[in-house]
Amino acid sequence: MWQIAFYFALLSLVSVGGIPSVMPEMQRLVVEVQGWMSAAEFTQIFAIAQAAPGPNVLVTALVGWKVAGIPGGLAALAAFCVPAAALSYAVGGFWDRMRDAPWRKAIQRALVPITVGFVASGGYVLATPMGVDWRAASIASASAVAIAATRANPLWFLSAGGLAGYFLF
Amino acid sequence: MEATPPQDAVRPPAGLGELYWGFLSIGARSFGGVLPWAHRVMVEERRWIAPADFAEVLALCQFLPGPNVGNVSIVLGRRWFGPAGAAAAFLGLMALPLVWVFALALLYADHAASNGVRAVVTGVGVAGGGLFIGTAWKLARPLAQKPWALALAAGCLGVIAFGRVSLFLVLPVAALVGVAAARKDLL
Repeated sequence: MWQIAFYFALLSLVSVGGIPSVMPEMQRLVVEVQGWMSAAEFTQIFAIAQAAPGPNVLVTALVGWKVAGIPGGLAALAAFCVPAAALSYAVGGFWDRMRDAPWRKAIQRALVPITVGFVASGGYVLATPMGVDWRAASIASASAVAIAATRANPLWFLSAGGLAGYFLF
Repeated sequence: MEATPPQDAVRPPAGLGELYWGFLSIGARSFGGVLPWAHRVMVEERRWIAPADFAEVLALCQFLPGPNVGNVSIVLGRRWFGPAGAAAAFLGLMALPLVWVFALALLYADHAASNGVRAVVTGVGVAGGGLFIGTAWKLARPLAQKPWALALAAGCLGVIAFGRVSLFLVLPVAALVGVAAARKDLL
């Protein structure tokens, strides 16, 4: 439990762009480095967090829960939120005063493509729980096109994915 | 009928209780994403904050590490009521979703042995991965005319998704490259 809290506290500080950016690293730590669960279980836990209301940061609580029960879940969530929250708290006013500073604009522009790369990686890792597989690839491509092309609530696409999963997997 | 206040009258929450309830209602209703509900409750229903102000706070919070809307709750809670406000807003936002997600997880744990249930949940997870890819696509659209930015994005994707290199290594390197490129107006 302390190990997962420690990892998530570190992850917290590099989570620019929020949870989607750190999904690939979280999966790598939990599945590949520590072997706490399989890639398929990781994708399922992520699915539960997506299906519940609330911020997607709750996936950290579920990963912690899977590793060390409910106390593990609360510890993982707190570990992920507190360092970043402390930073937001500290930076809140300062950032606005630096609105026109050139370094702020350079950092902001640099982070856009990096976030794109990280979020796409997170999607790839979550969509390939069984390695590259045509069924998963079809479901993931369909939902990717749907979210990029329409403005409907993403819950519809998740439900459609669940239905397709029932028949395909 | 009473006189309605002007459209742009912004009135921050009167106390910690109102702040907490407001964020509780954001968390409770946020199926399928928190951000639209955060906007609806704070900007449209309760008029705590002006739309442009909200957009700026959000831009900051998307830049900062950590959960985006979680950071919004901290920054605005602090602005209105200091540390107690930050805590009240954050806890309000998280309270109900946390109960929900644990309840769902326990329910799932009871039924995970069933192949059908596992297949549905895997399908939802894979579709969720697809949503990330689609979101990345949308974020990348403004970069279409910027080959350096696309190359940086593709490089990050390649080393992380396929090379499985740690983010702790990729982020500092990519940030240095990105800031250097941005200063030369390549991004």
